[in-house]
Amino acid sequence: MIDEIALKELIYKMADDLLILGHRNSEWTGLGPLLEEDIAFSSMAQDKVGQSYALYQLLHDLGENDPDTVAFMRNAEQFHNCQFVELPIGEYDFSLVRHFLYDTADALRFEMLSNSAYEPLALLAKKIKGELRYHTMHADIWIKQLGAATEDSIGRLQESLIQAFPYALGIFEPSEYEDQIKADKIFEGEEILQERWMDKISAVIGSTALALPDLGTITPVYGGRKGDHTAHLQPLLDEMSEVFKIDPTADW
Amino acid sequence: MKSLDPRVSRLNIPDQPPQLESKVPLDQLGTFEVFLQLKEGKPYHHVGAVHAPNNEMAFVFAKEQFSRRLICSGLFVVETRNVKVTRFTEGEDTVYNYISETFNEEGESQVFEFFHLNRRGKQHEHIGSVEARNYDEALALAKPEFINEKPVFNVWVVKTSDILFNDDEDKIIWDTLPEKKFRDAIAYKAADKLKEFKEKQQEAL
Repeated sequence: MIDEIALKELIYKMADDLLILGHRNSEWTGLGPLLEEDIAFSSMAQDKVGQSYALYQLLHDLGENDPDTVAFMRNAEQFHNCQFVELPIGEYDFSLVRHFLYDTADALRFEMLSNSAYEPLALLAKKIKGELRYHTMHADIWIKQLGAATEDSIGRLQESLIQAFPYALGIFEPSEYEDQIKADKIFEGEEILQERWMDKISAVIGSTALALPDLGTITPVYGGRKGDHTAHLQPLLDEMSEVFKIDPTADW
Repeated sequence: MKSLDPRVSRLNIPDQPPQLESKVPLDQLGTFEVFLQLKEGKPYHHVGAVHAPNNEMAFVFAKEQFSRRLICSGLFVVETRNVKVTRFTEGEDTVYNYISETFNEEGESQVFEFFHLNRRGKQHEHIGSVEARNYDEALALAKPEFINEKPVFNVWVVKTSDILFNDDEDKIIWDTLPEKKFRDAIAYKAADKLKEFKEKQQEAL
């Protein structure tokens, strides 16, 4: 028997991460550094929103409200995303570093979930494997390119990496249901995910002139998973839900 | 709190730009030609070009640029300046009529890919490859190989070694979530609005 509360908590935090980051990354639409990248980054942002929709649909099947209501009618403290994804897009170096750090973790998480005992989740993980492959391919190539190009590009990425890292570790904030979710064979847990993530990003960073911050000296920014957010989240939610709140039946 | 969306905040662009500024130099990247294969076994055809600093980045851009709305089985890119182009012909005149059968023998033997333009206004399509020591020899060898009753209006020749193909294991990038209705413009009822507009115009007359 699967513990539904633990399962829902896992799906909520994944869905919220993807919705918020998808919305954030879409802020680059029309402003990307070159047309081709503008299209690629916007398209990946749409993928993320699409993936969050699929996860909200899983929650709906588990008895939660419908995806639109869940996405648009909650306040910041009801969101379970890590603080990392709600931070402003900053300059392109920060958005790229976040894309690299987050999407690597996301791809690994779904890879682990493709063996989940909760079948709908395992099925979804297999369905979006291709999208995630492209996202990490895109991120890795950009980091390798700019991480070994000019003094300016290396300096900018390095600075963003240092700024982003404590927040990135917040992706792996342990859940209070960690033991339950492992016992039910739904997910192998945040700790293993973080280890795999460190290996993956270390390999990419190792092929550039960049250096990863020393894990021992960093305090991860936790709290997001429990509804504790920065001041940046609520304005994003207000903007995202503006149309829905004026007219919930609006269609286009 | 003020909006964080740069489209709203305009990225802090000053209202009044200075009267005179230095002209910004061009910073355009080079272009890469993109070829797609829609189905296993079908020929690759040219779909367009992307700007990129190298072929790896060109590949990543090309994927979203040209195949985000369709399933395909392969994609490759080649730097535009590495595409050699023959003259154009018209009517029943095939471009192979103008290919010299003599060539020099300089260079190491390697494979050249051939792309034909079979209809004006359409895209070049991969037709096959030829092993030769240089472009001229490749063209001369291609002439008896690829000439047939249908005229070819233009030929592109590319060294296989200049091409970046997708890895086989990366083919899953085209295997994406099918529920993407929100990406299509089908929900825009433009036809209805046009009809309504025309009817109103008729009434006004």
